[in-house]
Amino acid sequence: MTRRLLILGLLLLPGLAVGDEEMLLSVKPVLCITDSRTPVCDMSFLVVWQSGVSGYYCLFSDFDDAPVRCWNEDREGRLDDARTVQSNFSYWMTGDDHGLRLAQVSVEVLRMDSDDRRRRRRTRHVWDIN
Amino acid sequence: MFTRIVQLALLSCMLQAGFSAAAEQGQASEDPGESRWRLGAALGYGVRSNPLVQSDDIPIVLDLDIAWFGDHWFFDNGDLGVTFADNDRLTASLVARVNSDQVFFGKTDTRLVSFDLVGMPLSESVEFKVPDRDYAVELGLELLTDGPWGRLQASTFHDISNTHDGYEVYIDYSYGWREQRWYIEPSIGASYKSDSLNNYYWGVTEDEAGVVVEPYEASADINIHARLMMGYQLSRHWSLSLIAEYERINDEAAASPIVEDRNVLGYFAGFAYRFR
Repeated sequence: MTRRLLILGLLLLPGLAVGDEEMLLSVKPVLCITDSRTPVCDMSFLVVWQSGVSGYYCLFSDFDDAPVRCWNEDREGRLDDARTVQSNFSYWMTGDDHGLRLAQVSVEVLRMDSDDRRRRRRTRHVWDIN
Repeated sequence: MFTRIVQLALLSCMLQAGFSAAAEQGQASEDPGESRWRLGAALGYGVRSNPLVQSDDIPIVLDLDIAWFGDHWFFDNGDLGVTFADNDRLTASLVARVNSDQVFFGKTDTRLVSFDLVGMPLSESVEFKVPDRDYAVELGLELLTDGPWGRLQASTFHDISNTHDGYEVYIDYSYGWREQRWYIEPSIGASYKSDSLNNYYWGVTEDEAGVVVEPYEASADINIHARLMMGYQLSRHWSLSLIAEYERINDEAAASPIVEDRNVLGYFAGFAYRFR
């Protein structure tokens, strides 16, 4: 029952990736927003994975060549990964072969304002909402 | 005469800056991270009240955002501009636009009335409609500046289409807060409308006057406005927007017999899509 709920939770979470060998990987949040006042995202990413087969699995990210964490003889795991990010990056899971990505999720950093002041001018456009 | 000379000088500067800008743009390296286009659409529901008598509110269901920003030239939802100064402190542009005061006059009704606009009974029922007003093409100077204290936009526009022959001076201050996906931005401002502008849109000429409405002449005065925008970024492309807006029409315009309510209220709630 717990396993079913976990799978359901994984399915409902954004940033879900389904890879080979039934590896499910979810990252939350998958969108980070910056602007001129807050040029970096300083946040904690919840990473949850689940595999159909127990084994040796490692979580990698674009920040380091070394794994963020590895699990031995496990079929599921979760991790809170605190990061300060400025650009898009990915998390991915591997098995014994670190070169083979079983599942991958990308986190997007979205800059919401512009250095061009004209893009923020108020127009007589009816609502000027964007 | 002086006004015409100023208009010609402004247009000349605009064209010169534009030609040199076009030449520069051929060589300029574009920022690969930011498209020159800003395209979007919002679908939802909103209403802007109409201050005129015998008028309907203005419904807003679909709002398109179409803009292009070059190194100097830009097009922003109907406004055409050329930027001649851009530095750490401010951005200055010459802008041509269409005056928006006309928008209220496109939503008026013809009705059979038995009373005049001050409430006195008429000897017989007559048809009445608020007099039509034309769009005016205006040319002006716009200054944009910002900092940790917020954003300030100031502009002055003069009619170049011989429609109202007046001018407007506009100022707007806004400050935005962002907390990840949430964004909130209040703003306040004012716009001074000259005698000619105010009188063209809100006055009633001798020719337009009749048994229902008396002639009226409006002098220069100041409108004030306030706005609150809230947004929630749902994804890279989609956001939820909530906007409330208030404009207080100036005393001179509000005293016009064709004005029923000096308060223009508006709101909009909808989903916005931005092409990125």
